[in-house]
Amino acid sequence: MSVPNPIKPETSTVTTCAYCGVGCGFRAETHQGRIVRMTPWKDGKANHGHSCIKGRFAYDYYDHPDRVRVPLIRDHIDEPWRETTWEHAFAETARRFRDLQARHGVRSIGGVSSSRCTNEEIFLTQKLVRAVMGNNNIDNCARICHSPTQFGLTSTVGWGAASQHFDSILQADVIMVVGANPTEGHPVFGSLMKRRLRQGAKLIVIDPRRTETVRSAHVEADLHLALRPGTNVLVLNSLAHVIIREGLYREEFIRARCEWEEFQGWAALVGTDRYAPEVAGPEAGLDPEDIRRAARLYAGGPNSAVYYGLGVTEHSQGSTGVMCLGNLGLATGMFGREGVGVNPLRGQGNVQGGSCLGSWPHVYSGYRFVTDDATRLSFEAEWGVGLDTEPGLRLPNMFDAAMAGSYKGMYIMGEDPVQSDPNQSHVIAALKAMDCVVLHDIFLNETAKYAHVFLPGSSSLEKDGTFTNAERRVSRVRKVVEPLAGLQDWEVTMRLMNAMGYPKTYGQPGEILDEIARLTPAYRGMSFDLVDRVGSVQWPCDENAPEGTEVLHRERFPRANGRGTFMLTEFVPTRERTTDRFPLLLTTGRILTQYNVGTQTRRTANSAWHPEDLLDIHPEDAALRGMKDGDLVTITSRFGQIRLRARLSDRVNGGVVYTTFHHAKSQANNVTSDLSDWATNCPEYKVTAVEVVRVAAAADRASVPAEETARAERVLEPGE
Amino acid sequence: MWAEIRDLSEAIDLGTPPREGPPVNLTVDGVEITVPAGSSVMLAAARAGRSVPKLCATDMLEAFGSCRVCLVEIEGRSGYPASCTTPVAAGMEVRTGSDAIDQLRRGIMELYLSDFPEADVGGGWSEFHETLARTGVTSHPYGPGMNHQTAAVDQSNPYFLFDPAKCIVCSRCVRACEEVQGTFALTVEGRGFESRIVAGMDQPFFESECVSCGACVQACPSDALVEKSLFPEGYERA
Repeated sequence: MSVPNPIKPETSTVTTCAYCGVGCGFRAETHQGRIVRMTPWKDGKANHGHSCIKGRFAYDYYDHPDRVRVPLIRDHIDEPWRETTWEHAFAETARRFRDLQARHGVRSIGGVSSSRCTNEEIFLTQKLVRAVMGNNNIDNCARICHSPTQFGLTSTVGWGAASQHFDSILQADVIMVVGANPTEGHPVFGSLMKRRLRQGAKLIVIDPRRTETVRSAHVEADLHLALRPGTNVLVLNSLAHVIIREGLYREEFIRARCEWEEFQGWAALVGTDRYAPEVAGPEAGLDPEDIRRAARLYAGGPNSAVYYGLGVTEHSQGSTGVMCLGNLGLATGMFGREGVGVNPLRGQGNVQGGSCLGSWPHVYSGYRFVTDDATRLSFEAEWGVGLDTEPGLRLPNMFDAAMAGSYKGMYIMGEDPVQSDPNQSHVIAALKAMDCVVLHDIFLNETAKYAHVFLPGSSSLEKDGTFTNAERRVSRVRKVVEPLAGLQDWEVTMRLMNAMGYPKTYGQPGEILDEIARLTPAYRGMSFDLVDRVGSVQWPCDENAPEGTEVLHRERFPRANGRGTFMLTEFVPTRERTTDRFPLLLTTGRILTQYNVGTQTRRTANSAWHPEDLLDIHPEDAALRGMKDGDLVTITSRFGQIRLRARLSDRVNGGVVYTTFHHAKSQANNVTSDLSDWATNCPEYKVTAVEVVRVAAAADRASVPAEETARAERVLEPGE
Repeated sequence: MWAEIRDLSEAIDLGTPPREGPPVNLTVDGVEITVPAGSSVMLAAARAGRSVPKLCATDMLEAFGSCRVCLVEIEGRSGYPASCTTPVAAGMEVRTGSDAIDQLRRGIMELYLSDFPEADVGGGWSEFHETLARTGVTSHPYGPGMNHQTAAVDQSNPYFLFDPAKCIVCSRCVRACEEVQGTFALTVEGRGFESRIVAGMDQPFFESECVSCGACVQACPSDALVEKSLFPEGYERA
């Protein structure tokens, strides 16, 4: 019997995957106006023709029936949604925002942008807040993932960004992965890393879990430091201790590229007995000798490269942890050439762009302070308005201010704080306390239940723009199909600006990138034309590097004196610690087939692999609690309680439990703590003291009653 | 591994991975070309604009030399070496086509065609179909015999299927899983006629350790591994 030959796609558009921070190039192929296939682009400099299950196959969400196709509005969150026109949605949103400002002050509203948006949209959102709302209450979701990267790396080496391009790993002799699991979280980079490991590079993994990165087919870590959650800084200081005490640092590099006196100050701190492996090791649950071996391996190189993820940043000492990595690289001379460096692996497609482009309450694009007169004047000149000189509210502070009654409305672009931010009940209470929550998203997500206006967004397959991936690479996002709701996201933000009385218009998003280039030194040479011509461009891109820069810090560090600096990184244990009541430490992470809070991937066949979040628990801890594999269990912290199925696993050590946070119904962030990074407020998702108890009988698991959800999501039928 | 990754381009399939090395001069069909030492004759031919027909070779994977479609003549050497597994040498004179070569290639393609679903030959647009067209093969002289045409289609993965009837056992999927993805989920089981592609411990794809990255689908030259989305009406081989 015959089967039909495959249909042959009619169009093929090169674009950039919007899932993780690898930013793979893809050809999006259509047939009769529908996307029928995504194939990896061989010229993509981040992926070189490779792909993972998410980018290659999980695109069906784009025309899922749940996609909202018209703007929705209501006066109160207890009411059902009413469908409305774009014109009315913009006019009414503008009216409500201006009314709140008239009654409660200019700073009573603000916005948050998302790392899933394009550079152009992120830039426009912060412009909306600064130039049109007239304050600096703008933040972005990197607050809850990689804000410590910006702070920690800027402090030590000058730029809060990866020092290398991905390909650099092919020149590395020692690869140290800290708090990251590239084969699940950044699969295409994970494959590149494994290639290098199969060629003989050494691997050190510092992670509480025996991740797939630790051991997989033909790849095994030479050293796995399975530390107790919350002891990163202690262990990294201990590595530094060995490097100092055993004389493994590179004095020539330090004298040439750093300040020797600063090095000595740092060496005195980490060189104290407090950080000796024999002291720190037992405290972190590690064999001291493993710490010594890891330090020698890393310092010995000759090329050692660090790749790290949220396991470093999402701690109360997240920024300190990042500084530790910067310090280690400086002390051992692991900067400024291929094969070395310190590199954050970014969770979302455009975390780097989100960080670069000024969606922060204290800095404009290019990380320049709103308090700096010269910078502010340049923005005022370009935008034609006066700008607030005071830094604005961070996202968690917006919620606090809402609870206090001084913050009344916000524009949330492509974010789901109810599901992704810590201490869920606090976020919900804060949203309920606001008078005008405007959500701009492609789905009615969890936050939509508490929104007053819903502006239907366009997926990355429906719009033009650029993304900046984890290696600072700016790549084009190209419109493959028409936006389902009629407008691309940048048009929505622009028209909201216009409705609020700011007349600036753009004909196409390339004009926004031109504006970014005029106002942002590292992006000075960027344009759609350049990216289209060259394929992709890594910042900094300017007259000295007209086609971008692969490796940073070759000659100097981008700091005032051109030198790297050693930050003092005293270990201060988190206040979150186990007690008799909460004897286990919960840490969270990701799985290959699902992406973040799952809004997209849960609406694809990817859920066949990961239908629910599970709690990994060590068999001995399970036995103590009379638990079997597959039992329904409650996980209780000081903050809340959730229910999951248990999976007995020796991937976690005794005393540690682990889950993913991809499914809304799991509400993992109901239990996570309200502690956060001392410097940036990045939440401490990676350490929460909990107790786990088997549920005696099958019980209803929903903690939000189903009818409440149905009511919050209901849309009135026409004529109703 | 630097050039192997960084010198890949959508514009051309060099057939074997790009290399770094000192320059080597040779001629392909009289065209002078310089390529790095360690490059294959197939790559040199592609760079010279004289690309050689092929099935089991692609430049994202190391050469394998199983399909024998890419054979060429080299002055001063006997026989018809496979261009994918033959490294270049200084002064080499390569011929990519002759009556003898064309006849050998047609013979090989006819054998492949004799164990390929007859109804799927027309209208296909895979590399296998392109190679058939390039070698001018539209039919084969063989009668019915042992074949793989009734093997079950594996539809267990939500996104792609594996139809052994279209599989030419070139091993590109196996090598992609190993070299590109690094998962090692696929193997060739059996020898000779019995050899077939197997996922995991002879499991359905979905139940194996396959991570569904799509590298095997991307590598498959004959649409034996193919996206389900390209079959809106479904896929059934009775």
